This record gives sequence, C-alpha cells and structure tokens, in this order.
Amino acid sequence: MATRAAELTTSEIVQRALRRKRIDLAGQIFQVLLLLALLISLLFLVVLLFDIVSKAIPTFQERGADVVTGTVSSLPERAGVSQGISGSLFLVAFVVVIAFPLGVGAAIYLEEYAADTRLNRFINTNVRNLAGVPSVVYGLLGLALFVKLFGSFTGGRSVMSAGITMAILVLPIVIITSAEALRAVPNSIREAGYGVGATKWEVIRSHVLPNAAPGILTGTVLSLSRAIGETAPLLMVGAVSGFFAVNAEGLIDRLQSQFTALPVLVYNWSRQPDPGFRQDLVPAAIVVLLVLTLSANAIAILLRNRYDRKW
Amino acid sequence: MTRVTGKPLRLLLLGLVLVLVAAACGGDDDNGDEGGEELSGEILISGSSTVEPISSLNAEKFQSENSGVSISVDGPGSSDGFELFCNGETDISDASRPIAEEEVEICADNGIEFVELKVGIDGITVLTSPENGDVECLDFLDLYALLGPESEGFGNWSDANDLAGEMGAPNTPYPDVPLEVTAPGEESGTYDSFIEIVLEGLAEEREVPEDDIATRPDYTASANDNVIIEGISGSPSSLGWVGYAFFVNNSDVVKALQISNEAEGVDCTEANDETISSGEYPIARDLWIYIKEESFENKPEVEAFVDFYLGEEGFTSVNEVGYVDLAEEDKQITVDNWEAGELGPVISQE
Repeated sequence: MATRAAELTTSEIVQRALRRKRIDLAGQIFQVLLLLALLISLLFLVVLLFDIVSKAIPTFQERGADVVTGTVSSLPERAGVSQGISGSLFLVAFVVVIAFPLGVGAAIYLEEYAADTRLNRFINTNVRNLAGVPSVVYGLLGLALFVKLFGSFTGGRSVMSAGITMAILVLPIVIITSAEALRAVPNSIREAGYGVGATKWEVIRSHVLPNAAPGILTGTVLSLSRAIGETAPLLMVGAVSGFFAVNAEGLIDRLQSQFTALPVLVYNWSRQPDPGFRQDLVPAAIVVLLVLTLSANAIAILLRNRYDRKW
Repeated sequence: MTRVTGKPLRLLLLGLVLVLVAAACGGDDDNGDEGGEELSGEILISGSSTVEPISSLNAEKFQSENSGVSISVDGPGSSDGFELFCNGETDISDASRPIAEEEVEICADNGIEFVELKVGIDGITVLTSPENGDVECLDFLDLYALLGPESEGFGNWSDANDLAGEMGAPNTPYPDVPLEVTAPGEESGTYDSFIEIVLEGLAEEREVPEDDIATRPDYTASANDNVIIEGISGSPSSLGWVGYAFFVNNSDVVKALQISNEAEGVDCTEANDETISSGEYPIARDLWIYIKEESFENKPEVEAFVDFYLGEEGFTSVNEVGYVDLAEEDKQITVDNWEAGELGPVISQE
C-alpha cells in the first residue's frame, strides 16, 4: 500500500510540475538583483563623470586651450597642465620602453621555457605578490635606488628616476597578463607547429605570440593606464610641487631634469588656498587625465579587436 | 597564420615611436624663448609648503623675464627643505620657521653658509562654524583647555569648564554643545606652529612632560587644509585652525574667532592684514628664505633672483598668494641684511 501511494504521489508531483504555469520567482529575483548591481556601479561612474565634466566645462569655455598649454603657476588664472601632460607622456614612454619588453620576455620564459620546478613556482608566486604591493612602496624603492644610489646617472629627482620607478611598478602586471594570454593559446597550436618540424623558437614566434597578441596588448595598455594614474610613487621620487621651468639641451638633459605629472597636479592644486585651483583647475586637469587614460584604453580595445581570434 | 606574424610587433613599435615623439614634443613646451638673455643656469628651491606659493610666483615672474634660467620650486616641508639645503642640494631653502640651531650646525659641518631673509607673515586663524554664535573670542588659556594635551576625551565644549576654570581662562563657561575638532595633522608646519605659539608655554607651566606637549590626539586630522575647512563648516559647534590664507578664501563658510592672550596683555584681536602685519594678532609666524652663500657668490642667476624677490614686485607676490606683507621697517631689515650679505641666522636670533 505504502509503496503504491508513494508512486502515485511522485507521478502526481511530476504531472503537476509539468502542467503548472511556470513562474521561476527565485530566478527572476536573482536577475533583478544582478541588474541592480550593474546599475549601481554604472550610476556611481555616471555621477562622478557628470560632476567632474560639468565643473570642467566652464573652465574650458573661459580659458580655452590655455588650460592645456599653460604651465604651472601660483595664480590659478594663469596655470595650465602642459608640463603635467609632457611629464605623464614621458612616464608612458619609459613604461613602453622598459616594462613592455622585460615583462613580455619574462612571461614568455615563464610560460614557454621554464620547467615546473619548485624555484619557478616560487618565482611565479612572487610576481603575483609584487603586483599587489602598494604603489608607494615602489616609490620608496625608486627614492632609495634611482634618486639616491644612481643619482649621478638619473639626475636625482628627475623624470628618468620617476619613469624607471613606474616601469618597475607595472612590470608584475605586464608579466601576469602576458602569461595569462600565452596560457590561453591552445596547446594544439603548438603541437601542430612541432608536427611540421618547427623549432621551439619558430613555434613561439609564428604561432604562439601572434595568437597571444590581443591578450598581451590589452594587459600592457591597461598597465599603461595604471602608470598614468599613479600619484604616490611620483611624490616619493620628487615630482615638483611648485613652479618649475626647464631649459634642457637635448633629450638626455631633459630626462635628467625636474618633472610633474597630471595626477600630481591634481593633488597639489586640491591643496591650494585659492579656490580657483580646486574649483576650476582640478576638474579641468582631471578631464585631461581622463581623456589620456581613455585614449590608452581605446587603443587597447582597437588593437585587441583587430587581432582577436576565435577557436 | 604566418602572414599575420610581425604585424602586432610592428604596431607596438609604431605606437612606441609615436609616444616617444609626443613626449619629446611635449617636453619642448617647457623651453623658454631663446631670446639671447644674459642669465642662464639653474636655481633649485625647496622647503616649506607654506612659503612655496610665494617662491613659485616669484620664480614664475622672474623666469618670464629671464627665460634662460631653469628654476624649480618644491615644497616638501621646512625640515625636509633644510635637510636638502644643508646637504648642499638646493640654492634656496623656504621655511615657515627660523632655522634651528642643530640645523645651523649640520649646515656648518657641511661647509654651507647662508644669508637669512624674512619675506612675509602668515597668521594662524582659529575657526568655528558661522552658526556658532556662543563663542566670539578665545584666550590662549581657552585654547589650551579645549585643544591642549590635557583636553583629551572632551566631547563637549562644556567638558573643558573645570580645566579652564582651574587655569583662570576668561571665556568660561563654554556652551554645552558637541566639540568637533578638525585641524592639521602632525606632518604640517601649521600644527607645529600652533603648538609652539599657543600650547607650549602653558604646557610647560603646568608641568606636562616634554614628550606629551602636543595637541589632544583625538581630533579629525587632515593634511589638506581645504578638507579642514570643510570639516569646520560642516558642524555647527566645530573648532579648528588653519593658515590665514585658507580662511581669507573661505570666509563665507567659516568664522574666525578673535584671539586674546591676556597673560601677555593682548586683548581680543581679529585676524586681518593689519593686525597680523603689525604683530598685534598673537598667533602669527614669519616666513623665511635662506640663501646659500656659495650660490649667490658664484651664480649670478641666484643673486638676480633674490634681488627680484626683495624688490617691489617680489614683495607683492606675498600678498598675491594670500599671505601678509611685512611691515615696511621689517622689509628694510631684510633688504639691508641681503645687501650686507651677513651670514648666519642674524634676523631670527635678534
């Protein structure tokens, strides 16, 4: 009796479940929650952007291109961000020249050549840890190493010291993202290369690297954005906070002289007593910084789309 | 597949070249016109972040007339500035306090001689919210009772009544409203000056151990004076202090209290250009520049810059960036000292 009753009940349950109007309440609630999460993060971004841009527009209207071409000044009506832009571009150049080749090279070695030994695993873990070290620590490193120890070569508190510090700061990020991109290349591609008799170098050069390029490019350019936005390490290695004018003869001389950068300008101007700095110039400088960062990201997306490949 | 090879690399290289070119072009903007100026060379200025705007503005004015000179003005703080200065790394050191004896010794050990020049005055204003109608004037004794080392834990103005009464502070009893203090943090020269001018003497009288001579530790500290202004204007019964320039630029959102120091015979005095300049207002500090002898003897650009600094246009900068001009006779003392080239801290030790 008991078993028969149970059988009936089971089939009844199944039948009811199949016939009933299907409202997946939990699922719908979950979907709404996820949408909310997305909207809230977007809302913050939109509010922030709106706030900054609406404050910056009057400055640009009033001063025009003057804001971009002007130099640092104690008077807000004369100050501009040109030295910040050139400083930030110098830092970018250092990151591109130093961090990219070193980082991609290290990633290729770790992924393609290094055997799975305890030492290599240790190195791998350490690279990951380095990526999490607060940026101001890199600033201290830069101060001790490039400003003090190699001061005669870098020119002390110079754009060169800052550039090398920034390159080292983003190096672990470049290594990690490049290594991820290399790992994402299917092994069958490598094996196909070996199958037709290619050497390891040939396989990496003609098969692995082109296929990993989109991922590597995305990672490296994102690390560029990080370098553009950092302030703390630059303060440590001596970004100038007041007025400066440099009469450099040649590139080397310029690299060994004083500098500032866009985020440093934002930081310094927000501390000035004259409200002209913090109410008019800070938003304008932030907008210039945003434009610089967003163009770096846009380049990353364009490059990635150009070389993207489906398997 | 092989056809794509190399293209990403080439593109990366192209991008790299573009960035380098852009950076190099951007760098050119810093160069002044090659107008055949006589002066060239480099002037390095560092030190107090308070004095930095004055030196910056003067550097800017000077540089626009002498575009061949490279100048940089930095503001890590008076102490950091003297460290660099005595190490021979800078030509001019800005300071919001006179050079200390130990610093003179370090300089001497490194063979650095200097001329000391007073260039301006900065008042420290004690602020509250404009909504706080109960308090108009505070004495040094009141400030000690409300902000000094023994005031730790006072959550209400009235909590300080007993201490203030014991000391004989003139403005008791205080209102029974929350005491919300926002003020500079330890790294700031304004913090040091407040302790030195207002609290130190009273703390010594009351035999507070030397290590404990400071403000109360339990307040909202900020290194950014604009944040302090926001904190003070944000609460109806707030209290705090900032440099005079920050008050002048925000006098619509905060109220400056009059200050008295009855022990020294100073009645309630409002902070304004005249009272600070004349020394009537009791919480003011002098702003200094120190010029390395070797620099002004051997580098004509440094000598010319200091001449400019102490000229009419140079002294105007003090006011333009929000500080208070020296009285005429003090200006003359500074100019005379520069012309005589007298070495050592002669003005501050008078």
